[in-house]
Amino acid sequence: MATVTAPVAAGARTPERPRRSNPIKQGEGRFGFAMIGLAVLFVTVFTAIPIVASLVLSFFSWDVISPPEFIGMENYRRLLDDGPVLRSFGVTIGMAIAIVVLQLSVGLGLAVLVNARAQVWLRTFFRTAFYLPLLASSASVSIFMGYLFDYKFGVVNYYLGLVGISNVPWLTSGFGAATTIVLITVWQQTGFTFVLFVAALMAVPTDVLEASQIDGAGGWRTFVGIKVPLISPTILFAAVVALINAMQLFDQPYIMTKGGPGTSTTTVTISMYQQGFQNLQFGYGSAIAIILLLLILAITGLQFLAARKLVFYQ
Amino acid sequence: MTGTPFSRRTLLKGGAAGLSLAALGTSAACGSGSGSGSGSKTLKMLYFGEQSQATELQNRLQPEITKLDPGVTFEIAAINGTDWNDFLAKVLTQIAAGTPPDIISVATEGLQLMAQKELAIPLDDYVTKDMANLKEYFADVHPALIESMMYQGHLWELPDSFNAGNMFYDTNLFQAAGLDAPPQDWTIDDFEKAATKIAGTKGVDAYGWVVRLWGSWTSFMYANDANLLEEGKFDGGDWLWNSEAYAGNAAAQGRKGGYQWGAPTANSAGTVEALDYLIQLTKRGLSSSPDVGGGGTLQGRFATGNIGMSIGGGFWAGGLINAGMKKGSFDVTMFPKWKSQRHLFGAGGYAIFKSSKQKDLSWEVLKLLVKPSSFDLVFPGNVTTPGRKSLMTAERYATTGPKNWKVFYDTLTEHPETAPIPAPPYYNAMATALNQRTTQAVSSGDAKAALDGLQADLEKAAAAAGK
Repeated sequence: MATVTAPVAAGARTPERPRRSNPIKQGEGRFGFAMIGLAVLFVTVFTAIPIVASLVLSFFSWDVISPPEFIGMENYRRLLDDGPVLRSFGVTIGMAIAIVVLQLSVGLGLAVLVNARAQVWLRTFFRTAFYLPLLASSASVSIFMGYLFDYKFGVVNYYLGLVGISNVPWLTSGFGAATTIVLITVWQQTGFTFVLFVAALMAVPTDVLEASQIDGAGGWRTFVGIKVPLISPTILFAAVVALINAMQLFDQPYIMTKGGPGTSTTTVTISMYQQGFQNLQFGYGSAIAIILLLLILAITGLQFLAARKLVFYQ
Repeated sequence: MTGTPFSRRTLLKGGAAGLSLAALGTSAACGSGSGSGSGSKTLKMLYFGEQSQATELQNRLQPEITKLDPGVTFEIAAINGTDWNDFLAKVLTQIAAGTPPDIISVATEGLQLMAQKELAIPLDDYVTKDMANLKEYFADVHPALIESMMYQGHLWELPDSFNAGNMFYDTNLFQAAGLDAPPQDWTIDDFEKAATKIAGTKGVDAYGWVVRLWGSWTSFMYANDANLLEEGKFDGGDWLWNSEAYAGNAAAQGRKGGYQWGAPTANSAGTVEALDYLIQLTKRGLSSSPDVGGGGTLQGRFATGNIGMSIGGGFWAGGLINAGMKKGSFDVTMFPKWKSQRHLFGAGGYAIFKSSKQKDLSWEVLKLLVKPSSFDLVFPGNVTTPGRKSLMTAERYATTGPKNWKVFYDTLTEHPETAPIPAPPYYNAMATALNQRTTQAVSSGDAKAALDGLQADLEKAAAAAGK
């Protein structure tokens, strides 16, 4: 290899010159770096700096009005002893698991069904239809759903009443509120996983599917043994994104239930908002945010570890 | 990398330059923020409401302010929110962002927080200096409202409006149920009898309420002679009560330096009884399940004839009309008597921010804002109750009603035990806990357990606030 490489490297200066002076290539290079630079700047200003600022703030007691006071690890010690905030972590994890499981299974199920349709226009129609809820802002969806699921005058209970079912406390009982919020979130977010899965399923090589058919594999066997392994990288990606979103659930519970009844739908982000912006304990709110960040990182890390055994890269 | 025109060093340089620009942007933003209200010729006021309304008010007041100082531009920034808790959170965020206002309109909910943190300045010196001009103002505004704007003996705001928790009722539903209009001295038993009769109308909730501090189950708590916190009053305030402004004013007798909210009493027998009363009403089908927050849904349901009775203040007069209700289809009476007929109220007014560099001018604007002629500019269409008694006229309520509009101000004059909502400096934490524990109580049906929890929450919040 050395004998081949050395002359090329030694003589590399001569053929490189014309490339350097090529104004089109140079322009492309500048454009590329400008684009990367913008992304780096954006992430630095809007993600990295706030994370560092939050981390620093989490070691202070600060109510916005008085000067910040350094208190070391006190906010973290307090968090370990704060029942309602710890409970909000439990609520968040429970709801996130339900959302991710439902979002992936419903999204995959719908994608398989749509993918089985031969007509392209039908596929396009379903893709658009299932993706539409994702385009609506979650705040407006939450307000709308709050009215739909209202105990007394909600349309859902109205129609249930017509078939003899008494009013369901969708948002006024602890379990009901958590379940309703999970279902609404899944309804809105499934379009994202659905579109990913449709694309992944379409990319499964037909020769592999044909081979499995020749070998006599049925529909279920082909799905479990061929399609799922082949789209497993997409499943991993969808699971990671869905989990990160679900762990940051805020709009739906805040707008529909304000975290109630009691604290049954108080997620970590609501706790963080309440402590920071309502109780004016920005240091403590930041500590909660940092713990949430670490938790999401840890769970995502576990997902990638599990993926080593479960995900099949072609 | 050989084909690229940039070296890694160049990229790093570019990145550093980019970061420097960003940093400069940030510091520039801080710089412009600190400049606001500090020597510039813009007088900034924060207002709870819609920006379109704020801009209209700003345009209407600008000529008056130009008379005070021709070089000043008056700027009102509206802050939207579902309730005062939301408003205060956003105000504090603005302060954190380095853009404090010169003047702020704050209700009872935020007064003590603002005063304790010294965000505003006491108005004592200005009032004393201008007493000759302000005598008619103090004679016109009920002393209870003035006292509610005091903290530790100092006056922090000039109030211009208030809302007491009275009982609104749908006259059509009362008629349909064969009920007479409730008299002002009615009792909790009369209320319950009326609710039972109205509940006979299909699809109607006899009573409706909302989860919040003002005018929620807390009105029942006040009428039951209970409270969430121990009540006391700060010493002081003599500089005002003994001044010429209140000479011979019987309503000013015994007034002190503002409400001093002490240890939590959220699980006292009277408080538990009040919340449990509402839960039992709901269980018996006499009341709807409450929403949390500003009360827009409740007002809408009342306006469409779906609720027989609900707690409202003067702001409901305009609110119900704006929601489409016809004049005459609703009326108001006093809150029913339980152990007492004590009402609660919240007041609104204006304060000067400590960081303002135009305090003297701000004071002049404050006086302008509390003039009788300013009230309808600030609050068009009966969306609150005037703090000045002289503005409580039949003409004011001629287009909106209610017929018994006198009830609004009579609450202060006829029931001197009426007091402001308990809003200590840790109001925000208290409101959050109150909302959570009330929904917990309604959901579980166990008022005592929920209020035991609220008691613990309030004790923690009070301790954190350094009480």
